[in-house]
Amino acid sequence: MKDATKTATAAAARHGPSRDTLGTNSEIGRKLKQYYDELVSDDVPDRFARLLAQLEQAETAQKKD
Amino acid sequence: MAASQGFKTDLLGSIPSLRAFAVSLAQNADRADDLVQETLVKAWDKQQSFQPGTNLKAWLFTILRNEFYSQMRKRGREVQDSDGIMTARLAVHPAQHGQLDLKDFRAALEQLPEDQREAIILIGASGFSYEEAAEICGCAVGTIKSRVSRARARLQEILKISGDDDFGPDAISSQVMGSSAA
Repeated sequence: MKDATKTATAAAARHGPSRDTLGTNSEIGRKLKQYYDELVSDDVPDRFARLLAQLEQAETAQKKD
Repeated sequence: MAASQGFKTDLLGSIPSLRAFAVSLAQNADRADDLVQETLVKAWDKQQSFQPGTNLKAWLFTILRNEFYSQMRKRGREVQDSDGIMTARLAVHPAQHGQLDLKDFRAALEQLPEDQREAIILIGASGFSYEEAAEICGCAVGTIKSRVSRARARLQEILKISGDDDFGPDAISSQVMGSSAA
């Protein structure tokens, strides 16, 4: 999942110098992104796709009634 | 139905970010996934109230955050249980460099109060603007700014990283020594 990194970088560029305190030049900023990117790239359990499929099915069934 | 199909696809795409935010808030993988599940159900029920073209991620983060705090209230704000689930799971695939550093960082992050932790995560990691973060947290932009700056100062103190605002190494280390001895 590189999207989060891209979004964060784009946001940092958009907001300019005021965000430097958490930018790539800061140790805290780098660690924060490393921590978060690792979480974002974690495998997503199947239960969520199943849940959304169930919600969609329930909705379709309701409309048929 | 095409509209709800698209909504479902967008929800699916948001799950990795939602999980990352949930873990950052709850500091526990199981509770985080329960939060994500609750968020998806609520989002599905409220999909009519989402305005297409606005920021879905911010909308979902708001729902998840509200759910987190409402659960906290129900539990009487019990102390966060850091039972090592995350630590154990993440140790299976360590970062390529600085594994120990990241572990230290995670421990430091866990010591922050929730409001400061969520602010620094939203701004420094999730890529939201101060305005968006303020909307997600239901507070003023200035409040987010001050929480981020306090969070950053506290992390620097815990991790003994010298920042821009120089208190001098003696002041910082004596604070750290003081808090760890307590």
